[in-house]
Formats: sequence, structure tokens, C-alpha cells
Amino acid sequence: MMDSWLVKLVAALKGIGLNYDFLLAADERSSFLHGLLVTVQLSLATIIFSLLAGFVLAAMLVSPRRWVAFAARGFVEVTRNTPTLVQLYCAFLVLNMLITEALRSSGGNPLTPFIWVVLVISLHKGAFHAESLRAGLQAVPAVTLEAASSLGFSRRRQLLLVQLPLAVRFALPSLINNLVDLIKMTTVASAIAVGDVTYQSIMIWTQRDNVLELMLLMLAFFGLLTWLVNLAGRRLEQYWSLPGYGG
Amino acid sequence: MEDSLCAGEASVLLQPSSPSWSPLAWAAVLVVALLLLVSQPPAFLQTPLIGYLLTWSPALLMGMLANIQISVLAVAIGTLAGLLIGALQLSSLRPVRMAARWYVQLFRNAPMLILIYFSTYVFPFEIHLGSHYFSFPDWIKVTLGLALPASANVAEIFRGAILSIPAPQWEAASSLAFRRSQLLRWIILPQCLRRMLPPWMNLYATITMGTALASLVGVHDLLDTAQIASTTVNRVDFTVTVYFTSLLLFFLYCYPISRFTQYLERKYAFS
Repeated sequence: MMDSWLVKLVAALKGIGLNYDFLLAADERSSFLHGLLVTVQLSLATIIFSLLAGFVLAAMLVSPRRWVAFAARGFVEVTRNTPTLVQLYCAFLVLNMLITEALRSSGGNPLTPFIWVVLVISLHKGAFHAESLRAGLQAVPAVTLEAASSLGFSRRRQLLLVQLPLAVRFALPSLINNLVDLIKMTTVASAIAVGDVTYQSIMIWTQRDNVLELMLLMLAFFGLLTWLVNLAGRRLEQYWSLPGYGG
Repeated sequence: MEDSLCAGEASVLLQPSSPSWSPLAWAAVLVVALLLLVSQPPAFLQTPLIGYLLTWSPALLMGMLANIQISVLAVAIGTLAGLLIGALQLSSLRPVRMAARWYVQLFRNAPMLILIYFSTYVFPFEIHLGSHYFSFPDWIKVTLGLALPASANVAEIFRGAILSIPAPQWEAASSLAFRRSQLLRWIILPQCLRRMLPPWMNLYATITMGTALASLVGVHDLLDTAQIASTTVNRVDFTVTVYFTSLLLFFLYCYPISRFTQYLERKYAFS
């Protein structure tokens, strides 16, 4: 029953010159759908790990220990000023190779390309999150912190209970922006043959020569994902809104 | 009293130049050191690894030049198109405004890699003009693919800059009998250019980093050269070095730009 409307849809699209025949071939359809799933998994995993990395890096950036702050600053600058693809190659083609060589005797390398992509994009976007959070931390008014310390908050409790909740609210629009970029960035996974939607589309269009059709599908899919992230961001902004701050 | 005044003046004089100057100086020192190493490598550096690296360094630098060429051209095209689209976004005709908004939304939200594949596979490999055939090389297609997001972002930067000029200035200017074109030309745009410069430079750095994706569609750029070098030499230590050298080259190019942008942002922050 589902097949019949799909057949009609494909026939209708062919009428306006778009060749979506691959949707009727069971194996190509399932590999494309699996690609969509992999991209969603990749996005979710990287969103979570990039935020974790961002919080850790931001904490390091504002650390009173100079060498910690210096190391974090160096990492953030290198990450922000080099292409993700080069970082991915340095990680996957170099570090992964070295790990494989080192573990050859003891049962092989457990790290898959998927894990490497999650690792590299998480650290890359983590650096951007850290910069946003640092700006947020600095935007917390000094008076608020003075008030907190005069109420007897220790430095640590002041950071966790007063400064951080406000900083996250200030940084939220910029964090959401970073997450939208992150979703778009997951396409580089195709470079090291992770079977995401870009990779599966390349496989299909080299067979069928229907680049434009797959491109439109992918743009619609990424449009949907980034819209969802924006929507979640706006909801969160409303949910966390404080009287006296913002609109 | 006088001493403290002098110190204050000195710090004022030194402050603006130091953040943009020091990375440039470091880059210059590095280049000179590299040139010295290439011309007269000391004995302890005459290992096979260094030898291979020296053999391949001209090819790697040429690859980096290809990246820079693509980025400069893409941003130049993107800026011209983006200013036009940005102006259309502010048009008083609703359909024109909506079309420009859709263009910006579409190409700002599309992944760069997909746009590069799009321009590589959808544009023809040669153009037929009259009786002449012009070949349409891959690197130009990639340039156009990167010019699409560049133009959408420039349009947004332009719109943001125009809207950041306070409304009373428009009112004051029109009450002084400036026509709309004169108002834009003499009052609004000069202020916009200054505000647009830092985000525009950020965009340039982003596009430059996007050019690394060109290697995925077969353009002979830095990353492609690095891959060829690594498979040709086929040594573990060389592979490690060549990829991290690529990373370093991109960093040396993009970091000064980013520092200069930060300096401009601080300079224009409260003016």
C-alpha cells in the first residue's frame, strides 16, 4: 500500500523532470534511509559531546591557574583557525594509523571512523562553545557576583549556582548558532567513508547520475534538522527566560 | 607626574599595534628560519624525513596557494553578489525582498560540502559560446560553490550593518532633504563599511577553511598534495609530518587574520 503512493509520487516527479527512481529500488532506498539515520545519530552524539567539551574548555579558559588557561587558549586558537577536514585527516589518517600500529599485537584498533568524526567535530565545535560560554561568563555583572559573595557563597558555589546559570542564558543564542554549524559540519564524515546521508547520496548518484535530485533531498533534510535545532533553542530560551534580562 | 603621563601615552601608542603585529612578526621569523633551513640544512637535520619534507615543500606551498587563490576569488565574487542581494533584501518591493530573503536563507543554511558537490556536478565541464568551447575547470566550480554561501553571508552582514544605523539618522537626513540614494551614498554606507569589516574578515577566514573541502572533488590543493605525498613516500613519520604541516600552514594563514579581526572589533566596539 505504501509502495503504491511512492510509485505515484516518483512518477509525478518524473513529470517535472526529476528522477527519483532510486526510491523504488529497495536496496538503494534502505541505504539512503540508513544514511539519514546515521546523520541524525552523528548530530545527536556530536551535540552532546561538543557541549561537554565546551563546558570543560570554558572552565579551563577562565581558570586562575595560568598554564591551564594558556593550554586551553592554545587549543581553542588552533582549533578555530584550521579546517575541520584537515583536523579530521590528522586524527583519522595519522593518529588512527599510529594507534592501529601500536595495538596490532593486542587485538586491533577499537576506534571506528564514526567515533573519530564524533571526536573531531565535538572538539572543534567545543572550542567555539567555549568561546561563547567565556563571553557569557564575562557578561555576568560584577555586582551580581559581589552580592553572591557577600551572601557567603564560596568561589565554587558562586561559579556553579550564580555565574554559570546566567552565563548559559547569555551564551544561548550563540551556542544555538554553533549547533546549527555543527549539523552542517557532519557532512565531512563522508570524507572518511562514514555512511552518512552525504556518503550514501554520492554512492547513489555515481550509479544513477541524479545529483540535483539527491541534492534537493539533502538540502531539505539539513533544513529540517537545523530548523529543529533552532526551534529547540527558542523553546529553551523562553523556558529559561529571566525577568529583567532580554526580551 | 610627568613620568606617569609618559608611560600612559606610551601604552596608548603601543596598544593598538601590538596584537596584530606580534603574530605577523612570528610568521616572518618562521619563514626566515625555514628559508635558512632549506638553503643550508645543518648536519643533524639531514635525515631522510627532512629530505622528503624539503623535496615536497614546494608542492605543498603551491597547494596552499591554490587554496588561497580559490578563497580570494570566492570571497570577491561572493562580496559583489552579496552586496547586490543585501540591497535587494532592503528593497521596497515585497516580491524582490522575499526572493532575496529566500536566497540568503537557503545558502546560509546549506552545508558547504553539499554546495561544493552541487557546483562540481551540476555545472558543465565546458561552456559553449558561439563557436568557442571554454573549459570549466574544477577549481573554478569549487570557487563558485564557495561563492554561494559567501554571497548569502555578505548579504546578511550588509543587512545587519544597515539596520544597525539608528533610525533617527535616516529621519534627520531625509528632513535635510537628502534623496534616498544620496542618503545611502553619503550617510548610511560610509558608516556601514566600517561595521562590516570585522564580520567580513571572519567570513573570509571561514571560506578559506572551507577551501580544504576542494580536495574531496579532486582539486589539486594543499590537502590533495599532502595525500599524494603521503602515499608516494609511504613512511609513517613522513605521513605524520605532512598532515600536521598542512594543519600548520592553514593555521599560519588564518590565525593572523583572526587576530586582526579581533583587533578591529575592539577598535570599533564603542564608536
